[in-house]
Amino acid sequence: MKHTSSHGSFQEPWWWKLLPVASVALFLAVWHGAALCNPAMLPTPVETIRSLFDMLFFPTTQITLLDHVWASLRRVLIAYGLATLSGVLLGVLFGWSRNFHDFVYPIFELLRPIPPIAWIPLIIMWLGIGEGAKIAICFIGSFIPVVVNTFFGFTTLDRTYLKAAQVLGARQKDLLLEVVLPGIFPNILAGMKVALSAGWLCVIAAEMIAAREGLGYLIVRSMESGNMLNILVALIFIGSISAILSFLFSKLEKVVCPW
Amino acid sequence: MDDIKIQVRGLTKRFDDLLVLDNLSFDVRRGEFLSIVGPTGCGKTTLLNILSDWWAPTSGEILIDGQAMDPKVQNLAFVFQESSAFPWLTVEQNIQFGMKEKKFPPDLIAQRTREVMALLGLEEARNKYCHQISASMEQRVVIGRSFALHPDLLLMDEPYAQLDIKFRFHLEDAILQLSRATGSTLLFVTHNIEEAVYLSERCVILSNKPTGIKAIRTIDLPYPRDICSPEFVSIKDEITEMIKWW
Repeated sequence: MKHTSSHGSFQEPWWWKLLPVASVALFLAVWHGAALCNPAMLPTPVETIRSLFDMLFFPTTQITLLDHVWASLRRVLIAYGLATLSGVLLGVLFGWSRNFHDFVYPIFELLRPIPPIAWIPLIIMWLGIGEGAKIAICFIGSFIPVVVNTFFGFTTLDRTYLKAAQVLGARQKDLLLEVVLPGIFPNILAGMKVALSAGWLCVIAAEMIAAREGLGYLIVRSMESGNMLNILVALIFIGSISAILSFLFSKLEKVVCPW
Repeated sequence: MDDIKIQVRGLTKRFDDLLVLDNLSFDVRRGEFLSIVGPTGCGKTTLLNILSDWWAPTSGEILIDGQAMDPKVQNLAFVFQESSAFPWLTVEQNIQFGMKEKKFPPDLIAQRTREVMALLGLEEARNKYCHQISASMEQRVVIGRSFALHPDLLLMDEPYAQLDIKFRFHLEDAILQLSRATGSTLLFVTHNIEEAVYLSERCVILSNKPTGIKAIRTIDLPYPRDICSPEFVSIKDEITEMIKWW
């Protein structure tokens, strides 16, 4: 088969653009087939979409679907913002100060492998079941990838840039602000992208354990009432929002990091 | 004495038991183009790293205008073997980087940027990032960034090692043009003897490790030099004879 590429001079065949559509259509067809085989275990796509629209306009578990989405999203965004600021700061400190790295990094390495969800019992004991606990769990999930990627950026930054800037007259502060930070910016963004997904994952997990609103709560309540349609709608929203956030982040990445 | 820009005195560099540079002493005249050649692995880059204050010598000293070398006080620039153009800056911003660090007045920065970009043919690419330009153009950016400072001393470490021969010739002429325009003193490390003879007024020939100075050869041929002339070939052969290890 002839190799084609959007970057090369070859022309893509017309049907390539239809591949994603065909993939979704095939998925829906398989889902529909499976639902027809066993209606008690799986609603059809059409029923699910109908239920989705109902949930958008009529309250489910006292509030509408969009209220649940916003409750989850709000928690993620607060935790994500805090995690990005503190994660970049800690990653930069690890890279910039040898003493700080040697003193604090062993503790970080000890805490890093603990899955964020494993903190849930302890966090609930410390912070109760309010907003603080869910944001804290989400924060842990987002914080780690930002630190790891920021510090990785430091370790892989080409030392020639530092050397060049130093010879050109850059002082320590300039080296940090004008060479190191822009130099590791792509790594910081990569960490932020992973952190966004991780935060989203953690918020759902936290809401499934202790919450009164949010998509995780919606799933648990629907499970308790045996409402499979609501669970599927919540899952579709979790997947779609995560994909939309990732897509928006990629677009933003190209704007703020054009190199 | 006023004619001497740099004095290297008894420069020695040792890495644990390995003696790399052994008591090197030489002077560089103000505005001179001096090449340093030597066998592969003899410590040419080590010498430049010490001259740029990146590494400290084990013993010996380097004086610029009679004072101990300090990149924050003296106006130095360095062109590395590998490209050091900052990928997060555009061509124009790269060229202005050193001038901004040294707090040049904005109108001088604008004027020098224009001059350097015109001399190196970079105007068309002024708003491009490094990944959008060729390797040769990227190296021109680094050379331009250094010359824009009108440095007291410009250190160059095999800046054309990564480029093909066509671009080499083009850039060699550009460097000669820029060095005349700025009056900078140039210290040029290369393993390419033809390049050294083509560009420099004098050539320091280093020995194998532990590295000492084998000879300092004056190249008194007029510019532009003809690489096929018998005088050029004779000097090239003479230097080759001195450094050859085979």
